[in-house]
Amino acid sequence: MLNDSTNLSDDSSDNSDQKKIPCVNVGEKRVGLFVTCLVNTMRPSVGFASLSLLEQAGCKVEVPEAQSCCGQPAFNSGDDEGTRQIAYQTIAQFEGFDYVVVPSGSCAAMIKKSFIEVLKEQPEWLARAKRLANVTYELLSFLVDVCDFVPEGVELNGSYTYHDSCSGYRSLGVYEQPRKMLAKVSGLSHKPLNGHSECCGFGGTFCVKYSDISNEIVTEKADNILDSNVDFLLGGDMGCLMNMAGKLNRDGHTEIKALHTAEVLAGMTQGVIEVKNAGK
Amino acid sequence: MQASKPEHFNLNVKKALAQPDLKGIIRRTTDKADAKRAEAVVNFPEFEKARLQGQKIKDHTIKHMAHYLAEFEKNASAQGAIVHWASTGEEASRIVMDICKQHNAKKVTRSKSMLGEEIGLTHSLDNSDIERIETDLAEHIIQLAGDPPSHIVWPAMHRSREDVIKLFRQFHKDPTSSEEIIDLVDSARRDLRTKFLAADIGISGANFLLADSGSTCTVTNEGNAELTTTPPKVHIITAGIEKLVPSMAHAVPLLRLLTRSATGAEITQYITFHNGPKRINDADGPEECHIVLVDNGRTKMLADDMKEMLRCIRCGACMNHCVVYKHIGGHAYGSVYPGPMGSVLTPHLNSLEVANKQTHACTMNGRCEEVCPVNIPLPKLLRSLRAQSWEKKFEPLTNRLFVKIFAQLAKRPKLFQFTSSCSVLFMRVFSKNGWIRFLPLAAGWTKNRDLIAPNSQTFMQQYKKHQKPKSNRSA
Amino acid sequence: MQKYKSSELSRARIFKAIHEAAPENQASKSDIATEALALLSLSEGARPELLSSDAAEAMIMRIQAGLVIGTTIEKIKTLDSLPTTVQSFLDKYALPPCIKIQDLSDFQSLDWGVISTNSDVREDNSVGLCLAEYGVAETGSFVVHSSPEMPILINFLPLYLLAVVPKSKILHYMDDYALIANDIAKHAKTPRNMCLISGVSGTTDIEGVLVQGAHGPKILHIIVVEDI
Repeated sequence: MLNDSTNLSDDSSDNSDQKKIPCVNVGEKRVGLFVTCLVNTMRPSVGFASLSLLEQAGCKVEVPEAQSCCGQPAFNSGDDEGTRQIAYQTIAQFEGFDYVVVPSGSCAAMIKKSFIEVLKEQPEWLARAKRLANVTYELLSFLVDVCDFVPEGVELNGSYTYHDSCSGYRSLGVYEQPRKMLAKVSGLSHKPLNGHSECCGFGGTFCVKYSDISNEIVTEKADNILDSNVDFLLGGDMGCLMNMAGKLNRDGHTEIKALHTAEVLAGMTQGVIEVKNAGK
Repeated sequence: MQASKPEHFNLNVKKALAQPDLKGIIRRTTDKADAKRAEAVVNFPEFEKARLQGQKIKDHTIKHMAHYLAEFEKNASAQGAIVHWASTGEEASRIVMDICKQHNAKKVTRSKSMLGEEIGLTHSLDNSDIERIETDLAEHIIQLAGDPPSHIVWPAMHRSREDVIKLFRQFHKDPTSSEEIIDLVDSARRDLRTKFLAADIGISGANFLLADSGSTCTVTNEGNAELTTTPPKVHIITAGIEKLVPSMAHAVPLLRLLTRSATGAEITQYITFHNGPKRINDADGPEECHIVLVDNGRTKMLADDMKEMLRCIRCGACMNHCVVYKHIGGHAYGSVYPGPMGSVLTPHLNSLEVANKQTHACTMNGRCEEVCPVNIPLPKLLRSLRAQSWEKKFEPLTNRLFVKIFAQLAKRPKLFQFTSSCSVLFMRVFSKNGWIRFLPLAAGWTKNRDLIAPNSQTFMQQYKKHQKPKSNRSA
Repeated sequence: MQKYKSSELSRARIFKAIHEAAPENQASKSDIATEALALLSLSEGARPELLSSDAAEAMIMRIQAGLVIGTTIEKIKTLDSLPTTVQSFLDKYALPPCIKIQDLSDFQSLDWGVISTNSDVREDNSVGLCLAEYGVAETGSFVVHSSPEMPILINFLPLYLLAVVPKSKILHYMDDYALIANDIAKHAKTPRNMCLISGVSGTTDIEGVLVQGAHGPKILHIIVVEDI
């Protein structure tokens, strides 16, 4: 399941050795990692996995300390002014990078598309938002489409099925990229998921506002996941993964482990224990 | 069944979810429609090009709406039709009722039209001494049952065969004893046949209005539109002004998109262009033809920058593919138009204050836009309605407060990071074995699912700890 | 029937609202017409491929492939053999020799033998025979226009319908028919109804099960005549 009983911060591992991995190809890309709220608070290992993968792919990664949320809760609630305030500071923090990479389809889509929407009447900010949009990528598509990255020597025994989160799939066209990389993980086999691109019912504030409808939707999703009879449920968005894993756990289906694809590709499927070994 | 109201959305949802067999009933229709549409698109590799063409045709017409409306009026009048204009649904309904009264109509046949429902015509007729006869089989079923429609293409999708058996036995003159669907359809055929021929007035809607000829176009599979509009002495057409296209040649690409998106069929069995009353010596046809052009919120959509919604050709694909519609069904929306398109339309036909909850009952997953045959950005429109609700403070105060506080924090990264690290500690108080079963302030989440327990420190805290003293402040 | 005053007020209100929503839009009629025409050129490459480059062949293949609901098709050389064709149709469905033929001299002058040709189509279970104006290969449709000789109801009331389509009048696409319709409109001779009929009266309104013969025909047979 999507928890790790090991506490990352209690472990004294030093992941400085990750940073020693040499840049492998193409001119060094200066990448700003936008961590996202859910990774920051709920699943830090996805952030470390992202760092590791980006560095393996030859990027120089920085994590600006002054980052917060992409603004989806405000945007989806219709609070345009609140969204703008968040957009201003995100743009200012990240516009200096060659690329901005986000381990989430919906947060990436927010920066790529929605900032433009709320700033359309402010020409200066709009131009800056568009520039930022052009260099912002969802992590998995960035690794494949921009870095032409192929993970090597990663091992995970078992079968997985893949949930294509709506923003990644429909807004950003993320589909082949994770599958292409996961195909290189030895010991891991893919099984199809019925309704793989059907919404899981998360929808940000929707799942709290319309909790009961959301529950009906995720119940159906959980049934499809169980039908695929796999060891791992993989995806690229923490919100969806937390929703599906939370439902499976509530219903006692602890046999399926939900993981962010980055965790698998970075060999961090056990949380911190393997952080220091990542990127071998 | 009592019609539910849009302002009672949350209650309607509760009721819908409490019906154990509702989901199966909805799925019977939507799953089939979904599969058949997908097949139709595979068999029509030009679909993407066709839909771009369809979008452009509608956009062109909307852009030159005034020109085309005037053309339509001129040409329809030249065909001998009498053109009426109605700003509101109420007015449209009154015009139709007045025509009925002037002709002393006793029996009126109606060919399925969602606009007729929208303008309240069914109620106006029922409140008069005119007998209303719905001729589309689904409309016939829900008329007998006293239900509002639950879908714009299959209005009786919520009724099972068993329901239909009961209704037909109760209401048909010569009901069948069989329980086979084929015999039930035959029973309706016999019952409606005499009514078609005895009607004083036939009322239809229009799928398209052709500006250059003044034609109105109906699209059916049953052929009930022609049987409704030919025998009576008077034919009344009610149509929304957004149904305009420049000419028949412009309607053709939209027809290709409409049927494939609605039912997965490459074409419907009957497409008829109606051009006014019967000509001298014609073998059949009505002596009088009226066209009522209805605004009812459509020009407001133009003004509100919702003009993309006026592209809508009413195929129903957005609801067939909507995860929310598929679980709560059409009645929960409490309006004539359910699902994504309905959630955008209803605030304009009714009011945003009454119908703003529907705009929030959407996960923004984008499936509706993906299948829309004319590329309507439904999620974008729904979100902009949310923005209007926000401006007008229709949102409950607690939601507003939550979002405002969140936004205030998020624009101050240091404070945001600090709050995040506190929230992690707060959550850990409730965690057990890596999971949280109940979390105060997040009951909406933990009511139905568990929450993963976070680490004791956020990513940022852990990351900073592992960084050398050098600052990571960016560019 | 006079128009209402309120209708005039609403008309003015609607035009005013449209103008106010886009006050800058003052395109000339010819600009609009040019733009509208350009949209039609997009149809090329945005419509389905036909089963054959020959329109009649494509229509026949489409119907024979079962793609047009409840419909069969056959080809005959001339109208002279129409009564024989009709008789085999009646035999196939074990129907009595009574049909309703459209009131056309081309039909009336044929030797119908034992078949009576003026049955009442208002009766259910009847058979209708009509002459179509056009055929459309894309959709397997036939097109009828209302006229003194063409009661629209003959196509909708009978349970069985036979439609004669002249081979020379089978068009490739619906767009081709639209161009013809446009031409008819230009000469101010538009019939009251122009119906494209593509199969039989059907419904899926009860539990999604397809039933033929909802209100109109449940069986449609198209007879393509080579020389007419």
